[in-house]
Amino acid sequence: MERIRARDTDAFEALYDEYHRLVYGVALRMLGDAGSAEDVTQAVFLKIWGSPGLFRSGSFAAWVARVTRNRALDEIRRRRLRPEGELAESMPMEEILEDTVLARVNAEHARDALAQLPVEQREPIELGFFDGITHEEIARRTGVPLGTVKTRIRSGLRRLRVALSGVDA
Amino acid sequence: MTPHDEMLDNVAAYALGVLRSGEAAIVVEHMRACELCDAEYRRLRSAVTAVAYSAEACANAATGATAASPLLKARLMKQIRSAAARPPRPAAPWAWTAAAACLLAAIAAGAIDLSLNARVGEDRARIAQQGVTIADLTASSSRHFAFRNGEIITNGPRLYIAVRSLPAPPAGRVYQAWTLARGARSVAPSVTFKPDNGGAAVVPLPVDARSIAAVAVSVEPDGGSRQPTTKPIALVKIGQ
Repeated sequence: MERIRARDTDAFEALYDEYHRLVYGVALRMLGDAGSAEDVTQAVFLKIWGSPGLFRSGSFAAWVARVTRNRALDEIRRRRLRPEGELAESMPMEEILEDTVLARVNAEHARDALAQLPVEQREPIELGFFDGITHEEIARRTGVPLGTVKTRIRSGLRRLRVALSGVDA
Repeated sequence: MTPHDEMLDNVAAYALGVLRSGEAAIVVEHMRACELCDAEYRRLRSAVTAVAYSAEACANAATGATAASPLLKARLMKQIRSAAARPPRPAAPWAWTAAAACLLAAIAAGAIDLSLNARVGEDRARIAQQGVTIADLTASSSRHFAFRNGEIITNGPRLYIAVRSLPAPPAGRVYQAWTLARGARSVAPSVTFKPDNGGAAVVPLPVDARSIAAVAVSVEPDGGSRQPTTKPIALVKIGQ
């Protein structure tokens, strides 16, 4: 990122090559069409180029994934695919994650770990992250009590972390 | 499940990004004072990022493409190279402060004090109240009574007015809550409040919800009134 702050286009291209699949994948999963996913991908990387200082430290992958999700949520809101327009705020304002787990994550590993979750844990996690809906909407869609939804989200995330790190969460 | 277990569940929901803004702000404030919840959040965030990574693999199945079109990269790099001669915008650290302020402003102005400047541990009672509030608002046992601009929410003895997209009151005016006790024939004055710039507020009322039959909100002069002086904008029966 230091090189990008110095306006090094080669460094930016390398960053794009490294992370565009993550950005595009999240956007595609959330928006459902390749054109919109590309628009979001482009917007995210232009944001990185235009304001590299927004990323301060920690895991770049975690940060860019959240930026992408929020951008896709903006697009969903703009389209009014969610009539109530009450999507969760999801960007913590002060986040520094020095996470050894992330260093081991790749797409296949993550997908396998997620697939191993019991469906009652995986479903609310995927609905919440990719559909951008609130815990209340998850409860309504799944017919599961609100408290149970949140407990399952927590249990699922903890289990996911264990699967990815091989240590107790 | 203890109240703190419920808060840990809320931390997980926050990490996943499925809380409403007002709820998220309370969780953030709680984590500033609670090492256990803060540590849990940091643990769970990496799992959430892994969820994002799982979509990278899914891109193949969704479109048959391995990734975005190469044309996208070409377009993007063309823009980047043409812009490379221009200086970048400053990091704008103020933006983070402003964003954090906006997030916290989703909570009722004056109703729940979430000052960013508050020192951690300075007011444990306030933090505890916020914990109670987030637990109440999200509890499966809570009851929600909708009106045009929001909800009346009760959980056991506690009662809240939560509004969204509520216009600012006219200059010199505030919103005032009113409660009608069971069996009473007239309303009692309660707290006054103003929504934030986004029209949001979460206002706890100092009453026992179990004794209340209805809640109303009206526009009143600054400082409030002894009796409503305008037609209520909300009148919600909550008889249990």
